[in-house]
Amino acid sequence: MRVLVCTTIMPFHQGGAELLADWLVRHLRARGHSVDLLEFPFSPRPDQLLEQMLALRLMDLSPYGDRLIAIRPPSYLVRHPSKVVWFIHHHRAAYDLWNTQYGDLTSTPEGLRYRDAVRHADRVALAEARKLYANSRVVARRLEVFNGIQAEVLYPPVGDPDRYACTAYDDYLLYISRLTPHKRQWLAVEALQHTRTPVRLVIAGPPDPGAEAYVWDLKSRISANGLSGRVLLLDRYLPEQEKLELLSRCLAALYFPYDEDSYGFFTLEAQHAEKAVLSTTDAGGTAELLRDGFNGRIVPPDPQELARVMDEFYLDRQAARRLGAAGPARIQELGIGWQQVEQKLLT
Amino acid sequence: MRIAVVNNCVPFLRGGAEYLAETLCEKLTEHGHQAILVRLPLRWHPPQTILHSILTSRLLQFPNTDRVIALKFPAYYVRHPDKRVWLLHQFRQVYDLWGTPLQGLPDDSQSRLLRNVIIRCDNQWLREAAKIYTNSPVTQQRLRRFNNIDSEVLWPPLKDTALFRPGEYGDYVFFPSRLSAAKRQRLAIEAMAYVRTPVKLVLAGPPDTPAEPQQLEQLAAKLGVAGRVVLMARYISEAEKGELMSRALACLYPPYDEDSYGFVTLEAYAAARPVITCADSGGTLTLVRHEETGLVVEPRPEPLAAALDRLYRARSEAQRMGEAGQKLVASLEISWQRVIEALTA
Repeated sequence: MRVLVCTTIMPFHQGGAELLADWLVRHLRARGHSVDLLEFPFSPRPDQLLEQMLALRLMDLSPYGDRLIAIRPPSYLVRHPSKVVWFIHHHRAAYDLWNTQYGDLTSTPEGLRYRDAVRHADRVALAEARKLYANSRVVARRLEVFNGIQAEVLYPPVGDPDRYACTAYDDYLLYISRLTPHKRQWLAVEALQHTRTPVRLVIAGPPDPGAEAYVWDLKSRISANGLSGRVLLLDRYLPEQEKLELLSRCLAALYFPYDEDSYGFFTLEAQHAEKAVLSTTDAGGTAELLRDGFNGRIVPPDPQELARVMDEFYLDRQAARRLGAAGPARIQELGIGWQQVEQKLLT
Repeated sequence: MRIAVVNNCVPFLRGGAEYLAETLCEKLTEHGHQAILVRLPLRWHPPQTILHSILTSRLLQFPNTDRVIALKFPAYYVRHPDKRVWLLHQFRQVYDLWGTPLQGLPDDSQSRLLRNVIIRCDNQWLREAAKIYTNSPVTQQRLRRFNNIDSEVLWPPLKDTALFRPGEYGDYVFFPSRLSAAKRQRLAIEAMAYVRTPVKLVLAGPPDTPAEPQQLEQLAAKLGVAGRVVLMARYISEAEKGELMSRALACLYPPYDEDSYGFVTLEAYAAARPVITCADSGGTLTLVRHEETGLVVEPRPEPLAAALDRLYRARSEAQRMGEAGQKLVASLEISWQRVIEALTA
C-alpha cells in the first residue's frame, strides 16, 4: 500500500511524537509498504494557531497514496479521502488545561475564540477520518468527553522491540526519563532516604529546556542527604546502547510521572527487558500497562510506601524477577506490536 | 545554527532536487549545524490548487529555527526573519514556458490571473530574502529578466566526487537519468540505428511511468539494436553510477531544454568523461563546450550517431575533452565547502 504519514513537529526537538512517526514509517516500510513522511513545523503560540491551522487545512493530499495516517495535532486537518488518525494528544490548552496555570489559553475574549476555533476545527477534521485511534484509554476518554467521538485504543509499541534483553538483576533501580518536575525524579530520591537496604538508584535522562533549577535541586537533595554513594545521576541524553545496557542489568524500573496521558515508553521498554516497574497510583496512563502484583507494583505516591517496595525488590529478587518476567506476556495481552499497528491503521 | 531547509515536493516522488536538498542537510550537519528538511507538497492540478500551495507556504511558522534556506516555488514564500533562497526553480510555466507547448496551464483568464499572482508573489516575497543565490546562470538570468531581481550563482556540487574517478575509456556511452520523454532516451536508441562502430549504449535510471521501459525495449528491438543497448530501468545507487561513469567512453545527456545544468555533466567531468548533448538541451550547454569538453549536436539520430562514432574511433579525443571538462569544473570552484559558507554567512 502507498501510505502517507503526516505529522507536525517542533523543529529541532526530539519528542515522543517524532519518534513514533519515524518508527511507524520504518516498520511500515519493513512490511513492504511504500511510505512517505511529511513533517510540518507547528508553533504552539496562541496568536499563530489559526493561520497555521489554515495552512494545514489548505493542503489537499487526495491524489497521493492509498492511505493517509495523521499523528500529532493538528496534522489531521489535511484533506485526504482515506484519512486515519492516530490521536496522541489534544491541543490541551484548549481542552483539559483550558484556563489553568498549565495552559496558555485563558478566559479572555481572544482566549475563548482561540479555544473555540481549535475545538471546532478538531470536530470537523476528526469527523472526516475513516477511523480514529487513540494512543491510550486516557486520551480516548478525553475524545469522548470533549469531542463526543469514540476512538479505539491502539497502543504505540517501542521502535525496536527485539533489542531488549535481561542479563542480570543487579542492586540498582533505574529511572530513565526527561528530567523535568512533573516526572518527579525527586520522589525516587526521597523514597531512597527511607529504604533500609543498600539498594541503589540510577536516574538518567536529558534535562528539559528550562529545567536547570530542577536538576540542581535534585543534585543538592542527593548530596544533602548523604546519598551520593547510592545515587547515580546521569543528566544527559543516553545513547541507545548505554540505555539498553543499564536496563538489562537493573533490579527493577521506576516511573513516577504525575498524571500522564499514556504509559510512557520507558515503562514499555522495561517490560520488554523483563523488569518489574514500580509506579504510583496518580501516574495516569501507567496503570493501563501495569497490574499491581502481576507485572509491577502501583502504590500511593508516598516516599515511605515506595521505599518499602524498593526494599522488597532488593530482599526478594525472585519476586522482582517474577514480576519482570510477566512483562512480555502483558505486552502480548494488550496487543502492543507493529503487526497490530499495521493491521489497524491500514485496513 | 538551527537551519530549516524548505523545499516543495510531490509525495512519493524523488528526483535531483530532492536529492540535493537532502545532501544540503547532511552537509550542514557535517559542518556543525543542526538541519532539518521541510517538504511542502505542491499540486498544480487543477490550477487553482497552486494558490492553496502558495498560501500554505506563506502561513506556516518556523518556531525554534534560526534560519530557513528555501529552494523552490512556492517554498520560498515562507516567512522567517532570516530567510535565504537558493533558487533551483521558479514556476517556469508562467515565465519562460508561458505561451509555449510546455505551458501546462489552460489558456484562459483564470490562468492569466494565476500567472499575475505568481509573478507578484515572486516580486514581493523573494525580495524578503537577505540573500538570493541561484543554481545556474540560466536561473539567474531568468530571475533578472522576469522579476528584475539580482542574485549570485552558487553551483550545486556533487554529493561525493570521489565516486566518480577517471578509469579506462570503455566501449559504451553512458546515459544516466530518469527514463522520461523529456530526457529523450528514445532519441539515443534511434541514434544507435545509425552508428557504424560497435559502440554500445547504457541507459540507467528509474522510469517515470511503468510503460516506459517496455516501450524503449520495443523500440530497440524494432530498430535491431537491442544487442547493443543495455537498459537498467531502476534506481541505481551513487556507487553504481560512479562505477559505470568511470569506465564509460563518454557520457550522453541530450534532454530537451533542461533548466539546470544537470548533475550528470558534473559527474561526467569528475570522471573525466566528455559529454555529448544537443543544441536544444538548455542548461546543460552552460557547462558543455563544443569540441572542448564534449560535443553539442543537432537533436536528430544521425548527428548523434556520428558523435558516438567519432569518440569511439578516437578515444584520445574522448580523453582530451573529458580532462578539459575536469579542469573546467575545478576552475568553477564547485564545492560543498563553498556552498555551506555562502548559505550560513
